[in-house]
Amino acid sequence: MTDLLDHLVILPILLPLAAGTLMLFFDDRLRTGKAIINVSVTLVLIVLGVLLVLRAAGQVPGGELAATYPVGNWPVPFGIVLVADRLSAMMVLLTSILALSSLLYALARWHTAGPSFHSLFQFLLVGLNGAFLTGDIFNLFVFFEVLLAASYGLALHGLGSVRIRAGLHYIAVNLAASSLFLIGAALIYGVTGTLNMADLAVRVPLIGETDRGLLEAGAAFLGTAFLLKAGMWPLGFWLPTTYAAASAPVAAMFAIMSKVGVYAVLRLSMLAFGAGAGASAWFGQPVLLIGGMATIAFGAIGVMAAQNTARLAGYSILVSSGTLLSAIGMGNAGVTGGALFYLVVSTLALSAFFLLVELLDRVRAEGALLLGVTAEAYGDDEDEDQQAEVGLIIPRALAVIGICFSICALLIASMPPFAGFLAKFAMISAMLNPQGLAQPSPVPLPAWWLTGLLIFSGFAALVALVRTGINTFWVTMSESPAPVRAIEIAPVLLLLGLCLGLTVLAGPVMAYMQDMATIIHAPAGQIEQILNAPLVVEIGGDQP
Amino acid sequence: MELIVAIGIGVLCSCGTYLLMRPRTFQVIIGLSLLSYAVNLFIFGMGRLRMNAAPVIDHGTVDPAVYTDPVPQALVLTAIVIGFAMTALFLVVLLAARGVTGTDHVDGRER
Amino acid sequence: MTPSTWLALLVLLPFLASLVAAVLPSNARNGEAWLAGGVAAIGLVAMFWLYPYVTDGQVLRHEIAWIPQLGLNLVFRLDGFAWLFGILVTGVGLMVVLYARYYMSPKDPVPRFFAFFLAFMGSMLGLVLSGNLIQMVLFWELTSLTSFLLIGYWFHLAQARDGARMALTVTGLGGLGMLVGVLIIGQIVGSYDLDVVLSSGDLIRNHELYLPALLLLLLGALTKSAQFPFHFWLPQAMAAPTPVSAYLHSATMVKAGVFLLIRFWPVMAGTDAWFWIVTSAGMATLIFGAYSAIFQTDLKGLLAYSTISHLGLITTLLGMSSPLAAVAAIFHVANHATFKASLFMAAGIIDHETGTRDIRKLSGLFRFMPFTATLAMVASAAMAGVPLLNGFLSKEMFFAETAIRDANPFVNVALPVGATLAGMFAVVYSLRFVHGVFFGPAPTELTKVPHEPPALMRRPIEILVLLCLVVGIIPGLTIGPYLATAVVSVTGPETPYYSLSVWHGWNWPLAMSAVALVAGALLYLVLIPYLAKGIQGPPIIRHLIGQRIFERIMLTITSKWARALEARLGTRRLQPQLFLLVVCAMGAAGLGLFGRLGQIHWPTSPIDPAFALLWLIGIVCAVTATYQAKFHRLVALVLMGGTGLVTCITFVWFSAPDLAVTQLLVEIVTTVLILLGLRWLPKRVEELPNDPQVLKARNRRYRDLVVSGAAGLGLAIIAYAVMTREIPEGISEFFLENAYKLGGGTNVVNVMLVDFRAFDTMGEITVLGIVALTVFAVLRRFRPAADSLAKPEQQQIQNAFDERRPERSQGDSVNEYLMIPAVIMQWLFPVIIVLSAYLFLRGHDQPGGGFAAGIVMSIGFILQYMAAGTRWVEDRLRILPVKWIGAGLGMALAVGVGAQLLGYPFMTTAFQYADLPLIGRVPLASALLFDLGVFGLVVGATVLILIALAHQSVRPAKASRRAAQPVAVPEVAKDAPVEVN
Repeated sequence: MTDLLDHLVILPILLPLAAGTLMLFFDDRLRTGKAIINVSVTLVLIVLGVLLVLRAAGQVPGGELAATYPVGNWPVPFGIVLVADRLSAMMVLLTSILALSSLLYALARWHTAGPSFHSLFQFLLVGLNGAFLTGDIFNLFVFFEVLLAASYGLALHGLGSVRIRAGLHYIAVNLAASSLFLIGAALIYGVTGTLNMADLAVRVPLIGETDRGLLEAGAAFLGTAFLLKAGMWPLGFWLPTTYAAASAPVAAMFAIMSKVGVYAVLRLSMLAFGAGAGASAWFGQPVLLIGGMATIAFGAIGVMAAQNTARLAGYSILVSSGTLLSAIGMGNAGVTGGALFYLVVSTLALSAFFLLVELLDRVRAEGALLLGVTAEAYGDDEDEDQQAEVGLIIPRALAVIGICFSICALLIASMPPFAGFLAKFAMISAMLNPQGLAQPSPVPLPAWWLTGLLIFSGFAALVALVRTGINTFWVTMSESPAPVRAIEIAPVLLLLGLCLGLTVLAGPVMAYMQDMATIIHAPAGQIEQILNAPLVVEIGGDQP
Repeated sequence: MELIVAIGIGVLCSCGTYLLMRPRTFQVIIGLSLLSYAVNLFIFGMGRLRMNAAPVIDHGTVDPAVYTDPVPQALVLTAIVIGFAMTALFLVVLLAARGVTGTDHVDGRER
Repeated sequence: MTPSTWLALLVLLPFLASLVAAVLPSNARNGEAWLAGGVAAIGLVAMFWLYPYVTDGQVLRHEIAWIPQLGLNLVFRLDGFAWLFGILVTGVGLMVVLYARYYMSPKDPVPRFFAFFLAFMGSMLGLVLSGNLIQMVLFWELTSLTSFLLIGYWFHLAQARDGARMALTVTGLGGLGMLVGVLIIGQIVGSYDLDVVLSSGDLIRNHELYLPALLLLLLGALTKSAQFPFHFWLPQAMAAPTPVSAYLHSATMVKAGVFLLIRFWPVMAGTDAWFWIVTSAGMATLIFGAYSAIFQTDLKGLLAYSTISHLGLITTLLGMSSPLAAVAAIFHVANHATFKASLFMAAGIIDHETGTRDIRKLSGLFRFMPFTATLAMVASAAMAGVPLLNGFLSKEMFFAETAIRDANPFVNVALPVGATLAGMFAVVYSLRFVHGVFFGPAPTELTKVPHEPPALMRRPIEILVLLCLVVGIIPGLTIGPYLATAVVSVTGPETPYYSLSVWHGWNWPLAMSAVALVAGALLYLVLIPYLAKGIQGPPIIRHLIGQRIFERIMLTITSKWARALEARLGTRRLQPQLFLLVVCAMGAAGLGLFGRLGQIHWPTSPIDPAFALLWLIGIVCAVTATYQAKFHRLVALVLMGGTGLVTCITFVWFSAPDLAVTQLLVEIVTTVLILLGLRWLPKRVEELPNDPQVLKARNRRYRDLVVSGAAGLGLAIIAYAVMTREIPEGISEFFLENAYKLGGGTNVVNVMLVDFRAFDTMGEITVLGIVALTVFAVLRRFRPAADSLAKPEQQQIQNAFDERRPERSQGDSVNEYLMIPAVIMQWLFPVIIVLSAYLFLRGHDQPGGGFAAGIVMSIGFILQYMAAGTRWVEDRLRILPVKWIGAGLGMALAVGVGAQLLGYPFMTTAFQYADLPLIGRVPLASALLFDLGVFGLVVGATVLILIALAHQSVRPAKASRRAAQPVAVPEVAKDAPVEVN
C-alpha cells in the first residue's frame, strides 16, 4: 500500500488539510505565496477528483461498486471507513472545480479582505470532501462541523454590518441543526448499536417492531438537520440572506454547500431507508416530495420578488434544492439520474451566477432595478421621437459579461439549448415514463404536479432574469463601467464552458448518472462490498 | 435513575430551546449551552447508564460485560469540544453584531 | 458528402456565421451583409439542390446521437413541407439582408444585428428541419430568444425593450407549454421521433391525454403566431428595425406557430376539440386583426394587425381539418410571406425617406417615389386579394372552404359571413395604406423631401412583387409543383384533387370576393372622414389594449403578489426560523414515533436520593438561568455553570471520568469567555408593561414556552425509552476487547479518541483551529458600541478614589484590587504546567489526555493574563497561538501520514511502553504523538480565543478617550469583573 493511488480515496481530505495547516505558518502578508500554494493544491484536487471519477466510471453495476479506505486500518464497521463510489467521486470533483473558479476570482481582490482566507478556504474543502467521502454517520457529523466552521469564517470574510448580521443568523440556525444531528446520530446508535452507514443499512430491516419507532425518530432528526442545510421550506429562510451577504467568491463556493445536505439525504435515505429497508422502506419519501415541491414554489416566488441580484441568486439555490429533493422524493431511479445531472449543471451555473452578481453590480448604474420595474409598469410612456433610431455600441468587456449572463440565465431558467434544459427534460421525461420511454405505464399523480412546478419555476426564473438583464445591460448601462479584470471573468468562463461541455456530451454523462442512480437505488451489492472492505494487514498481524 | 436523567435532559432541552427562540443574543447563547448539555447527556445515555463500570480496563483479556459502553463517551467528548468551539464563535459574533448594530437583538434591530 | 449531411450543415452554418459576424468590426456593413447574404444564398441554393430528394412524399433524414437513452437525438428531417418553409426562411432572409444593408444607419453597430439575425435564421432552419419533438422545442425557444434580441436591438428605446420582453415572455411561455405538450405526446407514442409520431395519429387522437396535449401544443402555436387572445405582442414588436419586422413578422417567427399546427395537423386534427378551438381562435383573430388594422395610424402597426389577421385566416383553414383547407393554408403561408415582406420593406423605405411612419403625416408620396409606390400598391392589392395576384388565389380557396355546407347550422352561417367580413376589412386597410400614403396632397409635416431609395434597396421588393404577380397569373406553372410536394408530405398520399387556376367559373367564392371588394371599397369611402381625424386605435374596443393589460398582469403577479407571498410564506427574522426548526424537528420525530414507541418499562433500579437532589439543584439552576438570562446576565451565567457542574457530576456518577474532566475544564473556559464578553453587552431596559409590542412578545413567549416544553418532554421520553431498553448487539465490544491488545491503552475512551476513531478527533481539532482563526479575524476589527465605551463603573469609582488621593496616581487601585490573587495565580503557573503534563501522559491509560491537558495549559495562560494584565504577560512570555495551532494540526497530521509512508492506511498506529524516571511506565504509542498534536492545537486555539477577547478591554481605554463624553454607565458593567489591566 505504498503506491500513492492506494491512498486516492483519502487524499482529497488530507491534501487541503495539510495545505491549510502549512499556510498557518506564513504571515498573511505573503499573499502571493499562499495564493500559489492554494491554487496548485486546488489543481491537484481536480486531478484527484478526475481520477476518482474515472475509477468509479470503470466500475459497472454488479462489479466493484465502491472503493473503500479503512482509516487506521481498523476493520469495518468498527473503524471509520471512507467510501468513494460514483456519487461521492462526482461530488468531490465538482467541489474542486468550484474551488478553483472561486479561488481564482478571489485572487482578484477578495482574498486580501481578511486574515487567513486561504487556510479557511482549504479547510472548507477538507470538510466538503470529508462529508462526501465518509461512510460513518458520526464522522459525517464531524466533517459537517468542519465545513460549517470554515463556512462561518468565510461567510464573515470581509465583515461589515450586513455580513455579521447574516452570519449571526446562519450560525445560530446551524448550531441548532447540529444538535439535531447529534441527537439523531446518537439515537440511531442507541437503537442499532452501529455508526457505520453500510452496517446500519444491514441492521435497519432487522430492527424489532418495538424499536422501529425510535429508529425512525432518529432518522427524522437527522433528516431535519440535512434538510435545513439543503434549505427546504420552511427551514431555508436563512439561506438567501446568508448567501446574498457573503462575498462573491465565498457565495460561489457555497453553491455546493446546500448540495451537501441534498447529498446526505440521498445517500442515507437510499442506503438505509431505500427499497431494502423492510418495514422502514421509503421512510420520509413523501416528506421529500412535498417539501421539495413547496421549496420550488417558494424559491420561484422569491426569485420573482427578489429586489437585488444577489437575493435572486440565493432564491435560485432554493429552487435548485427543491427540485433535487422532490426529484429524489419520486423514488424512481430514472428521475434520480436526471436529478443528478441537474445537480451538477445547476451547481456550476449558480456558482458562476454568484460570481457574475458582483460584476453586474459593477456595470449597472445606480437604481437600475427600480427604474426597470417602473418602466415595466408604465410600458411605453417615454417620449420616443427624440430618441434616434441608432443602436448603442457596447464595450467589449461589457459584451463578454452580457454573454456570460445570458448563458447563465438560460442555464438557471433551464431554457434551451443548454444543459439546464436537458436536465429538466431528463427529469420530466423520466417522471412521465416511470418504466422508461416506450414502456407504457400509468403516470403517477405527483409527476404531473412536479412537472407543472418545474415549468413554473423555470418561467419565473426567466421573467426575473430577463428583467435583471434588461435593467443591467439595456435600461441604464453606466457610461463608464468599473473595470473588470480578466482573472475575474475567467472563472465564470470556466464554469460556463463546463456547462456547455455537459450540453454537448450530455449522452455519456447522462449514462454515467443513470448508472449512478441505479446503484444508489439498489445498494445491496455496494453495502456488501463495503462491509467486506479488505484491510491492509489483518489486525493482530505485525504492526510496524 | 434513568427517570431522573431523562427528566434532567428534558428540562435542559426545554430551557435551551426556549432561550433559543428569544430575541436577545445573550439569551440565545445561554440557550445553546443548555441545549448542548442536554444533547451531551442524551448521547451519553444512548450507551445506557451504569455505575462503577468505567471503561478503563486492566491489562490482559477483558470481559466487555463489566464495562460500560465506551462509544457514546467518545462521541460526547468530540461533541463537547465542538460545542465549546461553536459557543466561543457565537459569542464573538454576537459581540461583533452588538458592536456594529448597537443592539443585542438577534435581528440587529430593535423589533 | 451525402445530401442528408447537408441538412445538419444548413442548420450549423448560420450559427457559425453568427459567431464570425459578432467579432467583425462595428463599421463593417458590407462585410456583414456579404457574410449573411452568402449564408442565406447557400441555404437557398442547397434547398433547391435537395428538392429532388423530397418530391412525392420522400423524406430526407440525418440523425446524430445526442442522448439516445432518453430518446433525444438530433434528427434533421426534410420533407416537402419543411422544404417550402426552408425556401421561405432562406429566400426571404436573402432579400432582407440585402435590404438591411441599406436600411441600417452607418452608425449602427451592425455586427450585433447580423449576429443575432444569423442566429435567428439558424434557429428557424433548425425548427423546420427538426425530426425530433424535443429538438423542435429546443429550436422553437431559440427563435423566441433570438427574436427577443432582434426586437430589442435598439435597446435604448423603451418601446424596443418592452416589445422584446413581451415577445419573449409570451412566446417563451407558449414554448414551455409546447414542451409539456410534446412530452405528453412522447409519453403516448413512446418516442419523440417525428416520423414515429406522424405514423401514430389514431393512437394519439384516441388517447385519454389527447386533450391536454392538444391544449398545450396550441398554447405554443397560438402564442407564436399571435392568435387572439395572444396577439398583442406582435404590434409591440414593431419597435424592431424594419428589416427585422419584414423577416420575423412576414415569413418566419410568426409563421412558426402555423408551421407547428401544420406539422401536427396529420395527427392532431380532425377531432371536434381541434375544430372548435383552432377555428374559433383563427376566426376571432382574422376579424379582430383586420378590424384593428383599419384604424392604425402607424404604417407598421397597420401591417402588424393585417399580419395577425392573415395568420388568423391560415389558422382557421387548419381548424377546418379538411385536406383541401390544409392545401389552402400551406399556399397562403407562402403567399402571405411574399407580399407582406415586400410591404414591410416598402414601409421601411417610406420611413427611411420621409422620417416618419405616421399615416397622418404622410400623403401624396406617389409623385416623390413613383416606383416604390407602384410596388407597394401591387403588394397591397395582393394583400387585399385582388384577382391576378397570389393573395387572391389562396383567399378564394379559403372562401371556398368556408362555403362548404356543414352539419352545424351556426358554422354554416358564421364561417362564410366572417370570412367575407374579414375580406372586406382587408380591402379597407389595404386601400387606406395605398390611398393614405401615396395619393392626396403633398405632405406638409415632413422634415426632409422624400425621394426614391437606392436601387439596390428596392431590389428585394421588386423581386417579391414579381413573385406575387407570376404566382397570381400562372400559378400552375410556377408554384404548382412545389406546393404539391409540400401538400403531399402533410396530407399524405390520399391528397385530394385541387386546382390552382385563376378562373373557376361563377361560384360562391367568387361572389364572396366580389362582395368583399365592392363593400370594402364603399366602406373605405364612408370611413375616410373618420380616418382623416387620425384617431389611433379601433372604435368601440379602443381602450382594450392587450399589451397594457398584459403588462399590468405581469407586474401584479411577478412583483406585487410575489413580494406579498414572499413576505407571507417566508421570514428574514431569526426567531420564527428557529421556532419553525424546532416545530419541524418535533413533527418529523413524531411522524416516526407516533404510536410506535413500544412499551415503556417503569423504573426498576432504585433511585438514589442524593442523585435526585443533585438534579433538583440542576433543574432549579437551569430554570432560573433561563428566567434571568434577559435582565441579569451574570446570574444566568453562574447558574448555567451550576447546571454544567451537575452534568459533570452525572458523568462521574455513571462511570465516565473522562467526560467529567473534560466537561469541567470546558465549563471553566466557557465561563471565562462569556465573562469577558459581558462587558460589551448593552444595559437592559424594562419594557413598558402595556405597550402592544410587549403584549405581542408576551404571547409569543407563552407559545414558545409550550413548544419548548413539548420538545423537552419528547426528548425526555425518547431518552428514557432508549435507556431502559436492552442494549443492542453493537460495535462497542470490539473496542473494549482490543483497546489494550491493539491500541496499547487501558483507557478505552482515550484509545478510541486517538486511535480507533482518531479521524474524528482530527476533524474535531480542525474545527477548534478554524474557529480560533475566525474569532481572531472577527475580533481584529471589533468595534464596540458607543454606549459600552465608558470604563466600567467599578473602575470609575476606583479612579475617582485615586483622583482624591494626592499620593496615588490614576489606575493604582485597579492594579491593586487583585494583588493577592494575582500573586497566587502567578505562582500557580508552573504547578498548572506540571498538572497539564501529568494529565497528558496518563491520558492513554487513565482519564485525561491531550485535550484536557491542553485546556489546563491554556487556563494557566489566561490566569497570568487575569493576574498581571495583558501587557505584563506579553512583555514577558511571547505566545504565538496561530503557530501553536499550525504545529498541533501538523503534528497530528504527520502521525497519520507517517503510517502511510510505512505503507499503512492513514492513522494506523504503533505503540511501545517505556519506563521514564519519576513518572514510571508510560505508553509510547504513536497515538501519544497524535495526542501531543491535539494538545498543541487546543492550547493554541483556546489561548488565541481568550486573548483576542481579553485584548478588547485594552482597546476602549483609548476609544473612550476619543469618545466625547462617556455615556451613562451601563448597568452590565457590574458584571465585568475580569477587567484586564
